[in-house]
Amino acid sequence: MKKCLFAEQIDDYLLNRLEGEPKEQFEEHYFNCPSCFRQLEERDALVSTIKTRGAWIFRDKPASERREWVPAWKRALASFTPRQWATVGVAAAAVLVVVFGLMTQFRPSSPQFVLNETEVVRGESLTLMSPIIDVRSVPTFFEWKSLGQGVEYKISLFNDELLWSATTRDSRIVIPEETRQRMRPGQRFAWQVRAFSANGTLIAASSKVQFQIEPAK
Amino acid sequence: MENRPPEIDLNDVVVKYRPVVSFKVKKSLGAQTPDWEDVVNEVITQVIEKVKKGEFRGDSSIGTYIYTITSRRIIDHIRQKTKVLRNIPEPVPLPDPCDNAESRERAQFLAQAIQQLKPKFKEVLNLYYYQELTRDEVAERLGISPRRVSERLNYAQRLLRKMIRT
Repeated sequence: MKKCLFAEQIDDYLLNRLEGEPKEQFEEHYFNCPSCFRQLEERDALVSTIKTRGAWIFRDKPASERREWVPAWKRALASFTPRQWATVGVAAAAVLVVVFGLMTQFRPSSPQFVLNETEVVRGESLTLMSPIIDVRSVPTFFEWKSLGQGVEYKISLFNDELLWSATTRDSRIVIPEETRQRMRPGQRFAWQVRAFSANGTLIAASSKVQFQIEPAK
Repeated sequence: MENRPPEIDLNDVVVKYRPVVSFKVKKSLGAQTPDWEDVVNEVITQVIEKVKKGEFRGDSSIGTYIYTITSRRIIDHIRQKTKVLRNIPEPVPLPDPCDNAESRERAQFLAQAIQQLKPKFKEVLNLYYYQELTRDEVAERLGISPRRVSERLNYAQRLLRKMIRT
């Protein structure tokens, strides 16, 4: 909203700094400008109050009464008794306990992944490393990312059906010669690794990665 | 051809201009003057009569017309009083221009609100409105720019408005 130029003269008028023609012009203006008149009335209330009660408003308080101005939150804190502080401490601790409790309760669950057509499990994911794309010749080994010590891996190789399966504690396994001979160029295969803890609990499973052995030329 | 007087809603005029006329009269005569209300009533009556008689031709705005009548009536009143009061002592002004309980209460509330302001705002209100230093003098006294003085004055008023509304 555009500010009326006369509004700047309100203080001068109320403090009797306007005389003669400028004063008359200002007075005539507020007879015609409701916005300026509203501001004038409001400012007059302030100036009159300060003029009549200024001695009380701006008095020098006695030293016993005088206080440095402090923000409201500091004043509130300063007014706490030791007992109130103790209550605040206990309440804060309780809030922390509840928050941490809820955090563990609602911790994001492990990613969900498909084990096979009928099984869906939650757990760590397991990354397969080789082979993950089509290969020119029959691979000699499978390799995946280790999940650490004490983990047993079960590797499964599929054609249309389960072709071969083995277990190991390494993150790499050599494909037996007998199995390799059953893997023909031009065929598509899929392999998957599942990881088990020492007590036999399934802790991770990879996705089923497909690869093809390029047809012989 | 003679101009026809403009259509004026007198009720509207009275409602709208009584506070403005009152303000001007109080400012000119002082709110302590006991008969300021009589002067306001005389002005309003005069305006109504003149408009009814068709004396307001619309050469100026109705606001300017009422302002002119108010100013003349105030001057007449002061002349009259000066003649009467020349030989008697000046009346003692009342200590508080807030002339009724409601305004006194409002003023007290405002005074308390000012007291609760931060020192930097209170200080600028004190120097500018109470001690009546100019903006430049306040700026010099506080070691800030005149523009900053204006900003503090405006901000203080905004805070007071907010405190009073809540």
